[in-house]
Parts: sequence; structure tokens; C-alpha cells
Amino acid sequence: MAHQAHAYHMVDPSPWPLTGAIAALLLTSGTAVWFHFHSLTLLTMGNILLLLTMYQWWRDIIREGTFQGHHTPPVQKGLRYGMILFITSEVFFFLGFFWAFYHSSLAPTPELGGCWPPTGIITLDPFEVPLLNTAVLLASGVTVTWAHHSIMEGERKQAIQSLTLTILLGFYFTFLQGMEYYEAPFTIADGVYGSTFFVATGFHGLHVIIGSTFLAVCLLRQVQYHFTSEHHFGFEAAAWYWHFVDVVWLFLYVSIYWWGS
Amino acid sequence: MYRHIQALQQVSRRTLSTSALRQVENKVPHKQKHFQEDNGIPIHLKGGASDAILYRATMALTILGSAYVIYELVCAAFPKKKE
Repeated sequence: MAHQAHAYHMVDPSPWPLTGAIAALLLTSGTAVWFHFHSLTLLTMGNILLLLTMYQWWRDIIREGTFQGHHTPPVQKGLRYGMILFITSEVFFFLGFFWAFYHSSLAPTPELGGCWPPTGIITLDPFEVPLLNTAVLLASGVTVTWAHHSIMEGERKQAIQSLTLTILLGFYFTFLQGMEYYEAPFTIADGVYGSTFFVATGFHGLHVIIGSTFLAVCLLRQVQYHFTSEHHFGFEAAAWYWHFVDVVWLFLYVSIYWWGS
Repeated sequence: MYRHIQALQQVSRRTLSTSALRQVENKVPHKQKHFQEDNGIPIHLKGGASDAILYRATMALTILGSAYVIYELVCAAFPKKKE
């Protein structure tokens, strides 16, 4: 298709931005309807529409890049900037929750007993499951780097093995964290300690699930020969996101689990 | 005894790793040819009939969902008074 005299990507008209926007409308109004009128219909519709939009939009990007060759070097540069900016915005998102934690924990109010952890809160031992979780995520950082080098060196089998291992470690973290949540001696309703703990670690856990899903999609693509040793930006984006998730955990571990205990 | 273990290792390595991967053939060149066909079909429909079905289902949900939001909004704005 020699229709353009430039290296940039003029995308075909697409319905997914509209369906995505309506999904956001259904999710927000669905949440309000759930809270006030106890009906989950709108919220469920919103979630299904969101999943359909994400699936088809990203499927189309894979078609445009891998099958149509639209991801030229300048286009890829733009995609890199985009991913970096997105991750930066996520850093600021987490910064807010760390701000909340330090605001409450550096100067604990008399209502909490004037101390941190607050009176009556039994904290988790940072050297038990939380330390294991730290090891799991650090190991997954090593395996995802191994996967990257395998892809760059054209080692198909090793890339698949190391990527699979990374995903399994991600699942293991999620499982362990789920067990911790179930067994924890405090809840989200236990004052500002519970709020800061579960909101910060909860959003982190959600990002682990998102990152694991992203890596799983990359695994499927690697098996289907989508990645070449020179061009595999989808994988790089997933690896950057995964390292970000790992770093957030390290800050969570040091601040909330260790210093805050 | 050790030679038996070695043989078992080799067999399991072969069956678990290579045969599972050998079954996946490289369809990328075929897909590249398919999606580069100059037929004017936009990317979100270019995959075939299943694309159209999925698109129609998504759009139906979009329209139905929007209508339902407006309905719920009207219901919430004009609550039924008890006599």
C-alpha cells in the first residue's frame, strides 16, 4: 500500500474511542446506581463494554504494527514516549497514596494514641510473607530481563520459558497477597491505618494483575512469532510496566510494612 | 540406574518443550498478506466475519447502555411518590 509519502501512521477511523467513552459513562453511572438503588446491571454492562473495547482496540494495534508494518522507527519512538508518560502518570497516582500514608503516620493524632502504628492495630510481620513477596517480585524482575535478552538474541524457547516464569511469579505474588488480605488482623475500616494500608496495597495488587495480564498477552504473541529480535516494543512496554510495579512494591514494603510496623 | 534417569530427562524435555512449540506454526507472513490487501476495509473489520459480529455486539451494548443510563437518570430525577 504505497499511499503515503511519510513514515507516520494515519490510523483508520475506529469506533473504539467512542465505545470506551461510553464504557466509562456506564461504569461511573453504574457505580452510582449500585450505591443508591442496589442494581448491578449498569456496572456489569460497563465492565463488559470496557473489556470488549480493550480487546478490539489492542487487537487492532497488533494488526497495524505486526501485520501492516505501520510501526516505523518514528512511530515506535512515539509509542515509547507514550508508555513513559503513562507510567509517569501512574507514579503520580501512587505518590498521592504515599502522601496520605506519611501525612497520617509522621504526626499521629491523639485519636490514634499519638503513636504509629495506632493503638490496637496488630501489624503484619514484615519479615514473613511480605519479605517473601519482595523476593518474588525481585526474582520476576530478573526473569523478565532474561526474557528480554532471549528475545533480542533470537532464543525462542528460552524467551517463552523465562516469560512464563515471570508470569507465574506474578500469580504467586497475587496469591500470597490474597492470603495475607484474608488472614490480616485488621480491615480497611480500622481507622486511617486500615485505609492507607489497603488502598495503597490494593491498588498495587490491581497493577500486578494488570501487569501479569500484559505479560501474558506478550507470551501469546511470542509463541505466535510476532516479536523479532530487533522489534518487540509491546514486550518492552510490558517489561517497563512490570519494573514499575516492582519498584512501587519496594516503596510500599519499606514505608508501610517495615517503617510503619 | 543413572542412565535411565538421563533417558527419562531427555524424553520429557523433548515432549514438554519442543513438541508443544513445534505445533505452533508461524502464521505471521500469511496474516501480513491478508491485512495488507488493498480492499479499503478498515482495520477493525479487516479480519473477517467474526470482526463484524464482535463490532455489532459492542455497538449494540454501547447504544443500549447509553439508553439505559438516560432511563436510570430520568428515574432518579423523578422518583415515584408514595400516596
